[in-house]
Amino acid sequence: MSRGVLVDTTLCTGCRGCQVACKQQNKLPPEETTFFAKAGGYQNPADLSARTYSLVTFNEVENKNGHFDWVFARRQCMHCEEPSCVSACLVGALSKTESGAVVYDETKCIGCRYCLLSCPFGVPSFEWEKTVPFVRKCTFCFTRQAGGDAPATVNGKALDSEQRARHKETQTKPACTKACHTGALMFGEREELLVEARNRIRKNPKRYVNHIYGEKEAGGTSWLYLAGVSFKKLGFPMHLGERSFPSYAKAAKDGVPHVMLGVGAMLGGFYWYNQRCAEVAKKGE
Amino acid sequence: MAASFGRGAMTNHWNDIANSDCIMVIGSNAAENHPISFKYVTRAQQNGAKLISVDPRYTRTSSVSDIYAPLRSGTDIAFIGAMINYALANDLIQREYVITHTNASFLVDSKFKLEDGLFGEVKDGAYTKDTWKFQKGANGVIRKDTTLKNPNCVYQLLKKHFARYDFESASEITGTPVGDLKKVAKTFVGMSHRPEKSGTIMYAMGTTQHTHGTQNIRSYVILQLLMGNIGVAGGGINALRGESNVQGSTDHCILFHIIPGYLKCPTAGNTSLQAYLDKWTPKTKDAKSANWWGNYPKYITSLLKAFWGENAGKSNDFAYDYLPKRDANYSHMALFDAMGRGVIKGMITLGQNPAVGGPSAGQERDALGNLDWLVAVDLWETETAAFWKRPGTNPADINTEVFLLPAAGSMEKEGSVTNSGRWGQWRYRAKPAPGDAKSDLWMLDRIARELKKLYAQGGVFPDPIVNLAWNYGDGDEPDPHLVAKEINGYFTKDCTVKGKSFKKGQLIPSFAYLLDDGGTSSGNWLYCASYTEKGNMMARRTRSNLKDDPIGLNQDWAWCWPVNRRIIYNRASCDAKGVPWAPNKPVIAYDRVAGKWRGDVPDGGWPPLLKPDGTQDPKAKYSFIMRAEGHACLFAPSLKDGPLPEHYEPLESPVANFMSEQQNNPVIKIWRPEEIGDSKEYPVVATTYRVTEHWQAGAMTRNLPWLAELVPDAFVEMSCEFAAEKGIENGDRVAVKTPRATIELYAVVTPRFKPFELKGKTVHQVGLIWHFGYQGIAKGESANMLTPMVGDANTMIPEFKAFLCDVRKIGKGGVA
Repeated sequence: MSRGVLVDTTLCTGCRGCQVACKQQNKLPPEETTFFAKAGGYQNPADLSARTYSLVTFNEVENKNGHFDWVFARRQCMHCEEPSCVSACLVGALSKTESGAVVYDETKCIGCRYCLLSCPFGVPSFEWEKTVPFVRKCTFCFTRQAGGDAPATVNGKALDSEQRARHKETQTKPACTKACHTGALMFGEREELLVEARNRIRKNPKRYVNHIYGEKEAGGTSWLYLAGVSFKKLGFPMHLGERSFPSYAKAAKDGVPHVMLGVGAMLGGFYWYNQRCAEVAKKGE
Repeated sequence: MAASFGRGAMTNHWNDIANSDCIMVIGSNAAENHPISFKYVTRAQQNGAKLISVDPRYTRTSSVSDIYAPLRSGTDIAFIGAMINYALANDLIQREYVITHTNASFLVDSKFKLEDGLFGEVKDGAYTKDTWKFQKGANGVIRKDTTLKNPNCVYQLLKKHFARYDFESASEITGTPVGDLKKVAKTFVGMSHRPEKSGTIMYAMGTTQHTHGTQNIRSYVILQLLMGNIGVAGGGINALRGESNVQGSTDHCILFHIIPGYLKCPTAGNTSLQAYLDKWTPKTKDAKSANWWGNYPKYITSLLKAFWGENAGKSNDFAYDYLPKRDANYSHMALFDAMGRGVIKGMITLGQNPAVGGPSAGQERDALGNLDWLVAVDLWETETAAFWKRPGTNPADINTEVFLLPAAGSMEKEGSVTNSGRWGQWRYRAKPAPGDAKSDLWMLDRIARELKKLYAQGGVFPDPIVNLAWNYGDGDEPDPHLVAKEINGYFTKDCTVKGKSFKKGQLIPSFAYLLDDGGTSSGNWLYCASYTEKGNMMARRTRSNLKDDPIGLNQDWAWCWPVNRRIIYNRASCDAKGVPWAPNKPVIAYDRVAGKWRGDVPDGGWPPLLKPDGTQDPKAKYSFIMRAEGHACLFAPSLKDGPLPEHYEPLESPVANFMSEQQNNPVIKIWRPEEIGDSKEYPVVATTYRVTEHWQAGAMTRNLPWLAELVPDAFVEMSCEFAAEKGIENGDRVAVKTPRATIELYAVVTPRFKPFELKGKTVHQVGLIWHFGYQGIAKGESANMLTPMVGDANTMIPEFKAFLCDVRKIGKGGVA
């Protein structure tokens, strides 16, 4: 099963606890920022970067009922079902894991940055200022998800099974989802999150636009979004289509062996023909 | 709230917000400044509750609310007054609750009236209060009319008083569109006046930091009592404390007018323990009133025993004479005024940063320069600690000797904190403090021991210091458990109380066992039961399950004052027969078979007023045991500025008071009248507030790179309409000017602020974040340079939240 996160922007209070938790978890250095006027003065840093894997966006918009609203959304790696970055990577440094996370192995990376160009969401960033730069993006807290066994005691007291289970749950979920206190970020199995999202829309059609962003976009993503305003107003890319990006390149890439063999055979044919011509000419002498 | 209910604290607790059917956030921006409260607000909303956000601008709280209503800063009384009027005029009140639990039926002195905005005669800056009293019968008991028809009864006075606050009149004052005001009133009153439903109010400094702050809260009190919302699950008036341990510090007397446990600080006239008790112990002749404060002698005697131990005995009035007697106001502004005049020569600040947080901060910074010495205890070198090298100052001109003591952070020391919901929670040390940093306890222990040594050699009046009981262990670090145990209290001799025998040195199980003969000690009677022979109650960590505890009292998680009672005034959650108004979310219920209350710890264990057959129970007591009359006060005679809330304009206001000739609260103290701005020169209303990303005066967050990155600069928010008028664009640098100072900061131009229409006049409001100063990673100018030095008539809290200013553009800046 593949896991994901359901982001319900109608529950988000814009506290940015998730954004800071992300920095803490990944031990990311701060950015030197200054007042950023474009997004109403609150959003900062201005964009994702090699030091900022996730970013809460502040949007002053009109909601679906025609009222003014202040809506907070979130940008980070969407962890596509069929990621274009994985497909674009020449050396297999990026891979989609069974758990849903798209992970990056810096030991394989050659720094070509095709992944940056290929991402439909403009997510991966490059450490331009470093001498040995790597690509950086949200890891979906892949290592957290893998670990998290509870210690035997806390404050000198043994933990019971319920406490151990709760400890494991909080320690294995991605740091941002642990920091979220309103339930705007919900971590779980992607299929179950889709059911939950559909239920929320069905139960409260006035609250939500009838669209689960990420269900189908670019072939589907592990991160899913609900909102009370059109996703266009929140700055989400709207024309990605429902096909995964690697699928567009599939025909061409699948053709490579045939083309290679065909051209080889043809060149071989030419060679044979040439040789034969030369042979015949020699005999004729 | 103390004047209304008897205790000045959040009535319910954080988790209880989830039980509410309607939540009104006013004078607070809880989603930003108390973010975790929104865990419970969101839960309530998911169960169908409506969230109402009332604020001068559209905030992050408003962004998740069901209804948003704007109001001009400083006009809460008009806003809530219109809601009260709507409820009274349409009889949408919980009538039986009001008759049973409030003083609605009490008859008030027939000469009491409001004339020209005054509740009687004002002499030397104070009301004479001669008509602020109830009519009493020959037996000394207050006369009542439970039919609520007598024109002098509180209910009729309320009706008359608030009839003036119709929606239209209120809207002219508040600037709230009439439609929005009606929508809020209909939603909140319509939902929460029903007995089985509850509504809660969440407020913070937006309510209190006004010249009429106490009366703002009084307006909430009246609304909530009429709705039957006090004492019930999901109800209450929830004062959201801005700092994790503010409730604890108030309980342990950080304020100048009280000593631990909300006992009055002795004043100059209280020359002996008896004189003190005669003055402050409330009395009643009503046999049905429990009058819990009648226990005053036990609490003060036990406190004196905790302070001076063996040296406090009957022979020396339990060392009462050692207590300092105050003869003046020692609130924040008074202290800095005295520093400015050179009266106060030295100061110790612990975790406080008045150079950023104080009103008219520039003058507070100047006042610090008049000190001989200043000790600043903090995690960082704050603006206060560095005042002598602030921009524009020549350190050579300042003679103050400044000591900076590095303090341990909250995770670097063991001890308790008391949260807003009155829960004392024990915290363990997670790691040792870095470098030379020490806990506050370590520093105070060293200072006290050194003082004792010095005074042992002689002094003007050495006895109170030399004889002080001071035993917190022999280790380098004082033992916080010994402190907590002393706060709880010990028996000081073998004795039998209420049929139970105790040995000398045993911890006291609850304040019901405290004695007035010196047989007990207790550093704070409210905390008696927090650390008993059963152990440290504050360290408990057992969650309850939904089945046994449907309203989430979590009685085995930490410990809650008083006596682990989670919702105070919970007797009012039941009718006169002890049956809960809301059977689906009962707080307590009277068990007739067992003859006792079930559920939360009852606020007074006596049986309900009526037996099942409707006859009076002679053993019964009224439900508001902390009030001498036993009832919650719709009419509150004990305040300085009126028994009922009346709208007055903030000291600096853009308009005349549309309600009466009396422009401002008549009994406030104005420190520097020459620095008060008028609306011709300063036409714009200003307010101050916080953002999620920074904390109070900013030392703890502006020094953290991850948080400095989120909000790197100070800014002022304004409407698009106002900005267009002034030619200001988002991100421009602007100057904000008041008679106190002029500061420069970034402009946030936003549709979240809208101009107000006040009786045809357009008034603009701006809002500034006040976290900034000249120290730390993220620096900026302090909004409190601008705020006036004037305070609430009762509490002296400064009027940070409404003042006048002017704004002009000075240039481009920021990242476009």
